[in-house]
Order: sequence, then structure tokens, then C-alpha cells
Amino acid sequence: MKVPLRFLLNGREVALEVQPHARLLDALRDYAGLTGTKEGCGEGECGACTVLVDGRAVNSCLYPALEAEGCAVLTVEGLVSAQGGLSELQQAFVEEGGAQCGFCTPGMVMSAAALLSENAAPSDDEIREALVGNLCRCTGYTQIVASIRAAAQKAGKAQS
Amino acid sequence: MAYDYHRSGSLAEAFALAARDDSALIAGGTDLLVALRKKKRAAPARLVSIRSLPELTAIEAGPGLLRIGACAPLTEILAQPVVRERLPALAQALAVIGSRQIRNVATLGGNLCNASPGADSAPPLLVYDATVELAGTGGRRELPLSEFFLGPGRTALRPGEIMTAVCVPLPVPSAQSVFQRRSRVAMDLATASLAVNYELQGGVLKSVRLAAGAVAPTPLRLRAAESWLEGRAVNEETLAKAVELARGEIKPIDDLRGSAWYRSELIGVFLSRAFRNRKEGDA
Repeated sequence: MKVPLRFLLNGREVALEVQPHARLLDALRDYAGLTGTKEGCGEGECGACTVLVDGRAVNSCLYPALEAEGCAVLTVEGLVSAQGGLSELQQAFVEEGGAQCGFCTPGMVMSAAALLSENAAPSDDEIREALVGNLCRCTGYTQIVASIRAAAQKAGKAQS
Repeated sequence: MAYDYHRSGSLAEAFALAARDDSALIAGGTDLLVALRKKKRAAPARLVSIRSLPELTAIEAGPGLLRIGACAPLTEILAQPVVRERLPALAQALAVIGSRQIRNVATLGGNLCNASPGADSAPPLLVYDATVELAGTGGRRELPLSEFFLGPGRTALRPGEIMTAVCVPLPVPSAQSVFQRRSRVAMDLATASLAVNYELQGGVLKSVRLAAGAVAPTPLRLRAAESWLEGRAVNEETLAKAVELARGEIKPIDDLRGSAWYRSELIGVFLSRAFRNRKEGDA
């Protein structure tokens, strides 16, 4: 028997009917049709499914869908800028070669978005620490760290 | 793996549901959901979520005591200045549990109630003489954390009881504490860990507390080594004897994270370092 679930998805209110044991990952992909969020390990190790719930990065594969009731959920689709283009963070991944096969990228970008919202000018160590829960099998970590550093620097310059 | 999922509306309702055979409690879920998925645990008919109950998530700093709701997420605990300033060993341990994504939802009560021999929050809480509050339809009781762990995955919780809070007495400002751990890679469980808390008065050790993780069926206080160190000056002979006693108290095993021999070596190294690297001017 399905149960109702309402939450704010990328700024828009959604009302879904989900299985009680559904994961937030299932709600996003199968019920809301947003497949940008990926399932990697399904056990909270790889971070491919990372989304933000009320601003905090979580593994959506370990997050019961019903716990999102009334919350604000941000997925990689929600990072699109007001003009419809990529956000500055995503653009930095493109310019710095932060994506290879691309499977881990939505999770990497969401972890980075959570980091930059708390710490606008992170050190490389702080960037690496924020990505402990995100695995990249192409092992393009150097470019991923460079992408986040570049996005932070660009945002810093725009501010001053 | 289909089950019903119920978000508990009140603590009283959670107590009533926790006592039912067809229900299991879920807090952050970062261990439970993996165990259900891997079929290491049979799915109950109903999961009862207690993670959003305000009575269980509050963190209150009183005079000399920090009361941490059992369902407070690790990130929230780490954000408390009192934890970073007065309970450094706890801060050091919580900071290395899982990833940021895990710490944003995993709870302190969950880490303890899982009763993993390597639960990283346990050694620091043991050296700070923490107590746990357990409650259910039958009433409320308080237990020293050192009496809470009975074996791997086994605790003093009675059927239907819920851990509601962890109470940590704040050490005197002159006390020193540190948590050390070794793991193979980031996010891995500890191969071995040790928390130490002590005071130095007139060159001798006082109120010595040692607790180890991942080297016995439960996290444990190393009481023989503590008693030996109490009232003694820190020197190489004193430390060597303490290491020997500590190694006699642990029961490490060989597994994929390390051999029993290596774990025993680690405990010795952690113990010696904790006292050698004490702050300047304290001797």
C-alpha cells in the first residue's frame, strides 16, 4: 500500500505516493523521475546518490523517503541556474576536467555544493575531507579538487 | 524487504511500539538499512522511526554536564563549542565516523546501541565516565556506559527499552584527553582505538581513564593499567608497565582489518603516545 509524501524538490512542492519502505533515492528516480541522482553501492560508501536535505548532504540510498516529508531536497537537477544553464560549480567541473565517466559527478557536485554553502573558501584539505564519502572509480580526484577550488575562487572574485 | 515505516509522533507512542515483537526501532538508519539490505538482519513488519522526536534530539549543556539526546546527529554534536573545547577526545572520535553524509544523519545513540566492538564514540565516552539514560513503558533508569555493553551487538537494553540520552560529566579544565585510532583507509572501521583522560598534579597522574575499541568483544576500560598509572610520575618504566598491563586486559582477534598481534602493538603505541605527548608545562 502506497503512502503520501510531500516535500520541496528543487524549490517546487511535490506530492508523491510511495511504498513505505522506499528510499529517498527511489522517490527521486522512480517516482519524481529525476535520474540525475545515481545509485552506486546502495550502502552509503560511494556517495553517488548524495543529495541535500535541508542543506545537509546525505546518502539518499540510506535515507527513508518518508523522512523527507516537509523537507527541502536539492538534487543535481536543482543546481541549474535561473537562466537554465549550468551553475558556476558545475561549469567549473566542465572547465577543470572534473568529470571522466561522469557517474560519480552528481554526488561529487552535491557534496561540493554543501561544502561551499558552509565554507566559501575551503582549503584543499577541507575539500578532500568533504569528499571522503564520494568515490570516483576513474580516480580523477585531482581534477575534482581543482574544480571545487576554481568554483570557490570564482565566487570569491565575484563577491569582491 | 518490504516493511511498514512509521514516524513516531511522541516518546510515549515510541515506547509502546518498541515493546512489540513485530517492530524495530530506527534512528539515523545508516547501519540498520545496510544490514536489512544485505539480509544480515531479518526485516520486521514495521520500522518505528524515533529520529525526529525533540525529546531525543536535544543537546543541553548544564553546569558540569552535557546531556546529548540519543538521536542527536553526530554533526550536531560536533558543532557544539563545549564538545570541541571540553571533550576533545569525543570530538576527535566523532569527526572520523563515516563520511560527512553519514555524520549528518547517524546518531550517537545508534552508534552505542549497535554495540560494535569498534564503535568510535564509545572509548571517549567511557573515559569521560558517561552514563546512558534508558527508558520504556516500565520507567526510566540510568546506567554507567561501562555496564551497557555486553558483547558484540548485545547491550543492557531490555526489550522495549529505548536509549534516550547520553550524559557526559565535563572534565575539570586541567584534565587532558585524546582519542587515537588506526584504520586502513578513510571511512573504514577502526583496527584499534584508544581514548585517554587524565590530570597531572605535582608531576603525578590523577583520575586516569583508559578505554580501548576494536580489541575485545566490547569497547572496554583498561582498569589494571589505570590503577597502575594512578599516582605515578610519567616515565618510560611506568609507561612500559602500563602497556604490559593494558595488553593483558584486551582480547584482540585476527580479522581482515589486522592481526591480534598488530592490534596489541597499536594499543601499546597509542598508550605511550598519549602520555608522552602531553602539553608543555604540565610535568
